Amino acid sequence: MERLIKLGQDMVLLWQNYSAGYLSGIRSTLILAVVATVIGCIIGLICGVLNTIPYTKNDPLPKRFVLKLIRVLVRVYVEVFRGTPMVLQAVFIYYGLPYFTSNTVQWPGVWAAAILVVSINTGAYMAESVRGGIISIDPGQTEGAKAIGMTHVQTMLSVILPQALRNIMPQIGNNFIINVKDTSVMFIITFTEFFAFHRYITGVNNMYFPSAAIEMIGYLTMTLIASILLRWIEKWMDGSDSYDLVQVDPLTMTAGTYSHPDRGTPFDERSKENREKIRQELKFGRTRGDR
Amino acid sequence: MGEKILEIRHLSKNFGTNHVLRDIDFTVDKGDVISIIGASGSGKSTLLRCINLLETPTSGEILYHGQNVVGRGVNAAAYRSHVGMVFQSFNLFNNMTVLENCMVGQIKVLKKHKEEARAHAMEYLEKVGMAPYINAKPRQISGGQKQRVAIARALAMDPEVLLFDEPTSALDPEMVGEVLSVMQALANEGMTMLVVTHEMAFARDVSTHVVYMNQGVICEEGPPSQVFGNPQRQETQDFLARFRKN
Repeated sequence: MERLIKLGQDMVLLWQNYSAGYLSGIRSTLILAVVATVIGCIIGLICGVLNTIPYTKNDPLPKRFVLKLIRVLVRVYVEVFRGTPMVLQAVFIYYGLPYFTSNTVQWPGVWAAAILVVSINTGAYMAESVRGGIISIDPGQTEGAKAIGMTHVQTMLSVILPQALRNIMPQIGNNFIINVKDTSVMFIITFTEFFAFHRYITGVNNMYFPSAAIEMIGYLTMTLIASILLRWIEKWMDGSDSYDLVQVDPLTMTAGTYSHPDRGTPFDERSKENREKIRQELKFGRTRGDR
Repeated sequence: MGEKILEIRHLSKNFGTNHVLRDIDFTVDKGDVISIIGASGSGKSTLLRCINLLETPTSGEILYHGQNVVGRGVNAAAYRSHVGMVFQSFNLFNNMTVLENCMVGQIKVLKKHKEEARAHAMEYLEKVGMAPYINAKPRQISGGQKQRVAIARALAMDPEVLLFDEPTSALDPEMVGEVLSVMQALANEGMTMLVVTHEMAFARDVSTHVVYMNQGVICEEGPPSQVFGNPQRQETQDFLARFRKN
């Protein structure tokens, strides 16, 4: 019990002295996670769409070759970035650029490098999620779109992707929460986010455990808020469960007189029946409704 | 009859070694209502899907106003926009409302203005009796209603021919009537239609021409009075006898 009280006191003490540092760490973590998740999703969407362009044996050879090549490249990208730790990717990308260019080219800043690393990492995971999302939409809808003359791109943009995006929302949420936590490995390239500040604090004083507790609470708060927001976004994407019947329609003018371009209904002046009726009336006079 | 819209010549389709369609020949004239009947697996649906290029024929030609649409260098999307299709499983776009389903093709493919597309879509939704439901999503309406929307979606593109792939097979019995009556109204207005169906009454009463398919070939064809009243081939007689019993 005394231990807990001591821990609480130390945490309060730390917070009083260093709250600005913790908060700026949180800010960096969140900005990096949000930006990288958005860019990662865009990379994933592009890869997923490229990966699902259909081709048949009848297509010309260059088209088949290009599509095959794209699929191989996407595959390599996904396997490499999904299959290696993000810490090492960060090291390779951040220190690799000056290393291979003999220090003539430097990263413009640690932010650019960090965003790049986390984005392409997220993109590798999202590529597979997007592919899954696209193939989860029943092929009948693609056929329906084709049957009214829509091209592949039109079908994707207006029919498949909006639904695929909804279906992979939980995955996007997963990735965002993973990014909030895993950006902590960016300390390796001296990026100062939330966890990096903890490392700094424990360097200047010996309150390692209280600071770790603050970190825990901080991360949990961020991810919980993210979860709630994501659920809310999913609900919003689902739209309303009910709909209004349109009893009075602004276009009911056409009711009863609707017609196929060259034909009419019996009530239409252009229709054969009506013309015949008028002809008969002219010949024999009205037979109905006459006084 | 009127001008030829579609002419199918020596059409064949193989899935591997399975010959689903063998040397199919027939023509569709303007105003024709052709019913394609036959047992399951006789190639009816494949034929329809080949006509709309959803399946690539193995050999043969499909002439649309005299122009071959099979093979390379053909703008399949442009051709499909003239040939509407109604599916067994409706295939409505689940992310759009009923109205948007009927507008998206007009806007994206025919490049119409939104207002124009809306008015045109409404005209056909009225016709199929779905105008009150324009704000509903496909998951909120019944099967028969979905199929009526699908018909309106196809009509809104002003197609020259409308292909129906077993439009009532996925429906509960009490919903079959509403879809058939819409189709009958279309036929009466002179819409050119190609209908794959198991509804023998519809084939007999509404169509101008009946095609009986058996094992990938056209076994017998002719006006409904002849095919139903006085079938020449033994296979046709057997097939129709099975239906009469039920």
